[in-house]
Amino acid sequence: MRTVLALLGLLLASQARADAAIHGLQVSLDSNRVVASFALTGAFDDPLARRIDSGLPTSITYEVELHKDRKRWYDNRIDRTTLEVVAVHDAVARAYNIHFKLDGELVESRTVRDREALEAAMTRIERMPVFTLGEDTPEGRLIVKVRAHLGTRNLLSFIPVAIHTEWKDSNKFRYIR
Amino acid sequence: MKVRVRIERLLRNHRILFGGLAALLLIFTSFFYLSQRGRDLPAALVANRVLLFVLWYVNVILILVVVFVLLRNLIKLLVERRHRILGSTFKFKLVATYVGLSLIPVLALFFIATELLQGSIDRWFNTPLAPVLARGNAVAQAFYDRVESTSLRDAAIALRGIQGIDLERAEDRPRLTRRLQELLAELGLDVLAVYEGTEFVHAVLDSQSGIADLPEPGRDFLGETARIGKAVRMGVPAGAAGRLVLAGVSQGPQGGVTVVAGTLLDPLVAEQTDQLVRDFQAYRQLEVQKDDLRASHLLLFLMVTLLILLGSSWAGLYLAKRVTVPIQALAEGTRIITGGDLGYRVKVEADDELGVLVDSFNRMTAELASNKEELERSNEELMEANRLAAWNEAARRIAHEIKNPLTPIRLAAERMQVRKDQGDPGLGQAIDEGVEIIVREVEHLKEMVDEFSRYARMPRPRPAPVDLARLVGDTLGLYRDLKPGVEVESRIEEDAANAVLDAEQVRRALINLLDNAVEATDAPGRVTVSARRENNHLEIRVADTGRGLPPGSREKLFLPYYSTKGRGTGLGLAIVHRIVTDHHGTIRVEDNQPQGTVFTVELPAS
Repeated sequence: MRTVLALLGLLLASQARADAAIHGLQVSLDSNRVVASFALTGAFDDPLARRIDSGLPTSITYEVELHKDRKRWYDNRIDRTTLEVVAVHDAVARAYNIHFKLDGELVESRTVRDREALEAAMTRIERMPVFTLGEDTPEGRLIVKVRAHLGTRNLLSFIPVAIHTEWKDSNKFRYIR
Repeated sequence: MKVRVRIERLLRNHRILFGGLAALLLIFTSFFYLSQRGRDLPAALVANRVLLFVLWYVNVILILVVVFVLLRNLIKLLVERRHRILGSTFKFKLVATYVGLSLIPVLALFFIATELLQGSIDRWFNTPLAPVLARGNAVAQAFYDRVESTSLRDAAIALRGIQGIDLERAEDRPRLTRRLQELLAELGLDVLAVYEGTEFVHAVLDSQSGIADLPEPGRDFLGETARIGKAVRMGVPAGAAGRLVLAGVSQGPQGGVTVVAGTLLDPLVAEQTDQLVRDFQAYRQLEVQKDDLRASHLLLFLMVTLLILLGSSWAGLYLAKRVTVPIQALAEGTRIITGGDLGYRVKVEADDELGVLVDSFNRMTAELASNKEELERSNEELMEANRLAAWNEAARRIAHEIKNPLTPIRLAAERMQVRKDQGDPGLGQAIDEGVEIIVREVEHLKEMVDEFSRYARMPRPRPAPVDLARLVGDTLGLYRDLKPGVEVESRIEEDAANAVLDAEQVRRALINLLDNAVEATDAPGRVTVSARRENNHLEIRVADTGRGLPPGSREKLFLPYYSTKGRGTGLGLAIVHRIVTDHHGTIRVEDNQPQGTVFTVELPAS
C-alpha cells in the first residue's frame, strides 16, 4: 500500500509543472550590441531553494535567440546564445557563490550572503549584452526570444523530462547600419 | 555458425527494410548534425551529441523491433487460437504458463523490492541522525552568529574609538596606531584595520595570532560595508590555522571610514563547527536527491521486470514453436498418408523426443507402405487363385452340364444302333424316340450355351420411367397356377409404383428370383413380391415360405455357376446380382420368418 501511495505521490509530483515565466523582457541597442534585460518569476520555489541550500550546484539556463520577424511565416532564427547561472551554497562561508556562463564560458562570479540577493542574482538579468550585430545581419525587424530551462522533473515517477518556460518575445526593433 | 546463417538470411530477406532504416538513420543524423552545427557549438561537443543521437536511434529501433516481433507473435497466437489451428491451444497455454509463472514472482519481487527500497529510504531519513545533524548545524550557526555579532560590535566600538583622529594627517598616524593597538588588546581582536571607502589606511595585527599577512577583505566586502553600513565575511587566514571572521562597520556612504575587525577562531573549534555544517549539508543533499534516487531504482526495477517478462514470453513462444512445429508436421503427414500417399515423409529438424517421434512416424509410414505393397501382392495372388478356382469350377460345371445331355444322346444312338443290328422291327419307333431324345438334349445344350452367352454379353442398363406395379403384376402372372398350392402375390406400395430403371433387366431378375422361390416352395406355400420407397431407395423384396437355404451357401450364392439345386447353369442369381449392381444397387438374402427365404433388392430411387 505504501508503495502504491509513494508511486501515486511521485506521479502527481511529476505532473506538477513549474509555474515559471519570463517577464519584462526589454531589448535595446548599444551601438551594434543587443542588450537584454528580463526577469524570471515563479521559478524560485521550495524544491529549487532546498536544492540550492543543500550545496548541490543548481543552474538556471536562459536560452536567448535573435530572430528576423516575418509576418505570415515562422520567424527566421539568426543567432542563439545561452546564459547559464549556476549557484553553489557554501554553508561554511555562509554565502552563495554565483557563476555566470555565456555560451559555456565563465563571464562573472559573484558572492551573495542572503536568499533574496541570490534570487535576484539568478532571476533578474540586467542589461546583458547578448548579440553583436554586423554587416551580415539581415534587414528588417528583429526580435529577441528568451526562455528559461529549470532542470528536470520525473514524469510518471521515472521518466526525466526537461522543464522550461514558454518563449517570451521582446519588442521588435530595427538595426540601422 | 547457425546464428550467422540465420542473420545472413534475415539480412537477405529484409534487404529493403534494413536499407530503409539505414537511410533514415543517415537522413536523421545529417539533419541533426546540421542543426547542431548551426548553433556554433564546439566541434567536439557536436561530435559527442551526434554519436549520442545515433546510439539513441539504434536503441529505439532495436526496442521497437523487439516489441513489434513480440506483439506480432502474440497476436498471431491469438488469431491461430481463434481459428483453432492445430497446436495453437498448446502454444497459447505454454506461453500463458510461462508468462503467468514469471509474472507472479516478478511482480511480487518488484513490489517487495520497491517496498524495501521505499522503506529503507524512509527509515534512513527517519533515523535520529537527522535531528542530531540539524541540531549540530543549529549550534554551529548560532556560534557563527554570535561570533559575527561580536565581531560587528567590536568593529563598531573600534570605529567609535578612533573618532577624533584625523586619518589624513600624517602626524596623527602614531596616535592612530596606538589607539588601534589599545583597541586590539582591549577587545581581544586579532586584526583591526581602517579604510576610507575602499582605500586602506592602517591596520594592526596581534603578533600572537600567527597571522602572517594582513587579510585582504576585498572590494566587494568594503563596498557592501560602505553601502549598507556593515558586512561580515569568514575565510581562512594566510599563514594560520582556524577561521578568520572579518566584520566591517562603516561610518556612512562612499568615502566614509570603515573599520574591519578580525577574529581568529580556535582551529579545533573552527574545524569541528565547519564539520557539523558540512555533515548537515551532505545530509540535505541526500534528502534533495531522495526522489531521484527512488525514481532511478524504480526505473531499474521496472526495466528488469519488463526484461524478465519479455524473456519469459519469448522463451514460451520459442519452446511452443519447438513442440508445435513437429506436431503440425505430423498432423499434416497423417492427413497426407490418410489420403493414400504412403511415400510421404515428415521433415522436421528436431533432436529431442519429438525428433524420435517424427523418426518413429516415418518408420511406421515406411512399414505401412511396405505392408501395403505386400498386401496388394498377396491380394493379387489370391485373386489370381480365385480366378483360377472359378475357372476350374466353371470348367467342371460346364463339363458336367455338357456331359449330362451327352449321356442320353449316346444311349439313344447306341440303342438305335443295337436295334438296327438286330434288325428289330421296332427300329422305326426307336429312331423316333432316339431322335426326340437327341433333339431335346441338344436343345437343352443350346439353351445352356445361350444362357452363358447372355451372361457374358449382358448390356448396360438403360433406365427409363417404369410402372413397377404393372411390371411386377405382369411377371407374377407367369407363375400363377404354375404350382398347385403355392400362392403368388404382390404388395406394391403407392409411392413405389413409379420408378426409373431398365424394365427388361429388372423383369429378368424378378423371373430368376421367382423361379428359385416357386421351386423352393412346397404346397401349401406362398411367394410374395413387395415394393416400397425407403428414404432415397426403392426396396423390392421376394419372400417365400419354402425350404430355406442350406447352411454355408449364402456366401457363394451370387457366384457364377454356383447352384444349390444340383442342376441348371448356376447363373440365375449371378445374373440377378449383376443387374442389381449395374443399377448401383445392393442385394442381400435373409431367412424369412417363420420359414423360407427373402431376397431384398435396394435400388436408387432415381
